[in-house]
Amino acid sequence: MLTSTQHGSESDAGAPAHVAGRSTSWRAADPTLVPVAVLALILAAMVVPPLLSLVQGSLRLTTSTGDLGDFTLDHYRRILTDRQFFQSLANSVVFSIGTAVLAIGTGGVVAWFVVRTSTPFRSLAYLSAIVSLGTPYILYVSAWLFLLGRSGPLNAVLMAVTGSPVPVFNVYSLAGMIIIEGFLWSPLAFLLLSAVFRSANADYEEAARMSGAGVLRTLTHVSLRMMLPALLAVAVLIVVRSLEAFEVPTLVGLPGGVKLMTTEIYLDTKKNVPPDLGYASAFSVVLLLLAAILLYFYSRLVRNAARFHTVTGRGYWPRPFELGRLRYLGDAFVLLNFLLVLVVPSFALLWLSLMPFSQAISLNGLKALTLENYDLVFHSAFYLDLVWKTWVMSAGAATLVMTVTVLSAWLAVRRRPGAFLLDQLATVPLVFPGIVLGVAMIQLFLAAPFPIYGTVLAFVVAFAIRYLPYGMRYASSGILQVHPELEEAAGVAGGSLPRTLRRIVIPLTRPAILSGWLFIFLVAARDVSLAVMLASPSAEPVAVAMFDLWGNGQGTELAAFGLVWSAMMAVAAGGLYAVARQVGASGFGA
Amino acid sequence: MRLAGLVATAVLAWCLLLQGPCGAADATLIAAAKREGRVVWYTTLIVNQAVRPLAKAFEQKYPGIEVRYSRADSGPTALKILNEARAARLQADVCDGNGTVPPLVRAGLVAAWLPPTAASYPGELKDPNEHWISTNLYFLTPGINTGLVPRDDAPRTLQDLLDPKWRGRIAWSNNPTAGAGTFVGTVLRRLGEEAGLAYLRALAKQRIVSVDATSRAVLDQVITGEYAIALDIFNHHAVLSAAKGAPVDWLKLEPVAAPIQVASLLKDAPHPNAGKLLLEFLTSEEGQRIFASVDYIPAMPGIAAKVPALKPDPGGFTADILPPEVLAQNTDRWMNIVKELFQ
Repeated sequence: MLTSTQHGSESDAGAPAHVAGRSTSWRAADPTLVPVAVLALILAAMVVPPLLSLVQGSLRLTTSTGDLGDFTLDHYRRILTDRQFFQSLANSVVFSIGTAVLAIGTGGVVAWFVVRTSTPFRSLAYLSAIVSLGTPYILYVSAWLFLLGRSGPLNAVLMAVTGSPVPVFNVYSLAGMIIIEGFLWSPLAFLLLSAVFRSANADYEEAARMSGAGVLRTLTHVSLRMMLPALLAVAVLIVVRSLEAFEVPTLVGLPGGVKLMTTEIYLDTKKNVPPDLGYASAFSVVLLLLAAILLYFYSRLVRNAARFHTVTGRGYWPRPFELGRLRYLGDAFVLLNFLLVLVVPSFALLWLSLMPFSQAISLNGLKALTLENYDLVFHSAFYLDLVWKTWVMSAGAATLVMTVTVLSAWLAVRRRPGAFLLDQLATVPLVFPGIVLGVAMIQLFLAAPFPIYGTVLAFVVAFAIRYLPYGMRYASSGILQVHPELEEAAGVAGGSLPRTLRRIVIPLTRPAILSGWLFIFLVAARDVSLAVMLASPSAEPVAVAMFDLWGNGQGTELAAFGLVWSAMMAVAAGGLYAVARQVGASGFGA
Repeated sequence: MRLAGLVATAVLAWCLLLQGPCGAADATLIAAAKREGRVVWYTTLIVNQAVRPLAKAFEQKYPGIEVRYSRADSGPTALKILNEARAARLQADVCDGNGTVPPLVRAGLVAAWLPPTAASYPGELKDPNEHWISTNLYFLTPGINTGLVPRDDAPRTLQDLLDPKWRGRIAWSNNPTAGAGTFVGTVLRRLGEEAGLAYLRALAKQRIVSVDATSRAVLDQVITGEYAIALDIFNHHAVLSAAKGAPVDWLKLEPVAAPIQVASLLKDAPHPNAGKLLLEFLTSEEGQRIFASVDYIPAMPGIAAKVPALKPDPGGFTADILPPEVLAQNTDRWMNIVKELFQ
């Protein structure tokens, strides 16, 4: 069914052959060689120095003064000879796949309902994604622990229902870890997939419906299959990221005795001052290889990319599905997601922010309600000073990343000569632990011939490197769907390459670009592990100040500040998003 | 008698001549510091709570000298300074922490200089090689949820913690310098290696829960009722929360670990005189009173904590002072025991 709908798939059989059709010597004629080379240089300059310092760190001992010592393979040996290696490996695999399934299962399904049906709750879904991505990680995890913990409301209800004298649900388990990590990534899946669904062609789905297929059959046989590369791209991203995750495994897993591969490595980086990063670096190198293998299979899978082009020269604006009574199910799902991703954790934070000290939700606690924490936050000019700098850092990084990755992704997806390298390079930072990247960046900035160390610009560069892989995945999934026939038409009509990109490719992939920008803007602003290393008296992001409060256990003040900050991020992001879409809509009509 | 009086007067006069009135800093030092115009402080103290009031008071006392600070935990702070020094672009003048200083001393980055205020501090709170001086103290004790642990039931000795009724209800932070590491370390130091390890093996059967957060956050979980007891929490945190009405108290269960917070002047400080002036201010009576006023426990003897009983003498308990070197030399081994027996 899908193969019969291919349009001009010969153009994708291989770029060289395709270009050779037009010119006898494609090497001389291909206008993309120069941009590929330039982008490869830019990306290499961004990722190779930290990569080198990662590999070097993994092969050297660290002396007691933090210098690199003798050559050693000990770090790798330790990883492979850990007596609980296979148990931890199994836990890690279950954790990562479970997280990806949950994140895509919630975020993806919500994205489909929001984009492809006429559910009235679409704005709630965007609001949930934006606010939860803007909420500091630590705060989000502690809100979930607060809710699902032994003294939390879930267990209070379960104990009342079952009559059990002890807590029924143990959050400090693999299941609890998957729930928390899954909900952390669900907004990413939502943003990425909603961008994909929005620019998908509904023709095939309608054809299926007209041939008598039900909604479910259409979904499984047509929609899901067309979305396969995008779904896989998100899955690969989430699996790799959760394999590497430190926070949930230690905050949730450690108290329950559930060990993952990262647990010991994370504890290792915290044991000594200065931290010994060799072991963590070796683990990152192993993960980097694993990610490369995963990405290799992924790229083989989507090699015949024509199967997935849904944005073609024909009218493509997707028409919403008519679900009949099923739509209520969709509405309910979107609402439930809104409750779980936004309302419930926010309510936990709101409760904490109104308490003089951290305490369980109870009628008794209502007597202690106070606005003292908000008073502290609003009268602390210190924090407000940090806000604009944080915005500049994360907006700068998001803009830099999307500019580089849209071009790179286009070249890579169109299989231009050498462009596969761009995808590989942009994916490298995915597995850098924040602190390792931080050390590499400090060394780089200190060695720079111009004074960049300790400036806002240093953060822009460092965040851009850290979030390159996300930009690349957003941009790739958007471009994968645009059929090259549109660009070829522009070429035939005499449009130059830059003009074609500006007038065809960028407008058609705008939803993906915007989603990617927004995602990076939100997550860069809450980064702690990298930011702590780069913070200086003249440049410090908000998240570092938040970490400070958390370290001192000013949890209730942090909850208040976190909520205010998330609200500011949501307003800022929502405003920018609306403006960009407005501009985009008028530009698109032209 | 008369001679003693004369000597005392002479000493006092000499001090006044040397230091100016009320122990204030040397005038030439102040002038030199003002010419530098700025001091950069890499701190592990909490900005909102301690750093800003201290910086503000310093800037008021010495107008024209701006305090610029950057806050991170001990590990990242040491890493930053080591890297800056390696590139010969050191930014910091003064640094502090309970783990920051030893690696910097080993790398030869710390100045051997203590302010005149050091004379008022006992030997255990300053380095004999003049590399550091303590600014404030921490006393790590158990904290309990008073709703879950009736007062008569509260453990009083290490043995009491082995009562089966506490199994699975005790938590600690996996922090090496304030949590699991210091608990294990003080037990070994107090009971000796053999008896200490035997005790820890028995304690491991209680399934102590390791929480990857600071001791303060572990205490918060005790307050919400996740656990009944937290080991090695900061005793002043329990007092602070109890004052706000939280069901929490701390126990004088010995041995009490006392890791100390210390500050140092860096050898190649870009603003050495302003750095000296800041270090002197932090350890002066005036600076110490600010520590007390913002609920930290001042190091200078004779300056009481806001709640005096938090300090050993008025509180009636003894503390095992853990200077930076002791922590630096032992935390690795202590944490290996934690991993071996408890995780």
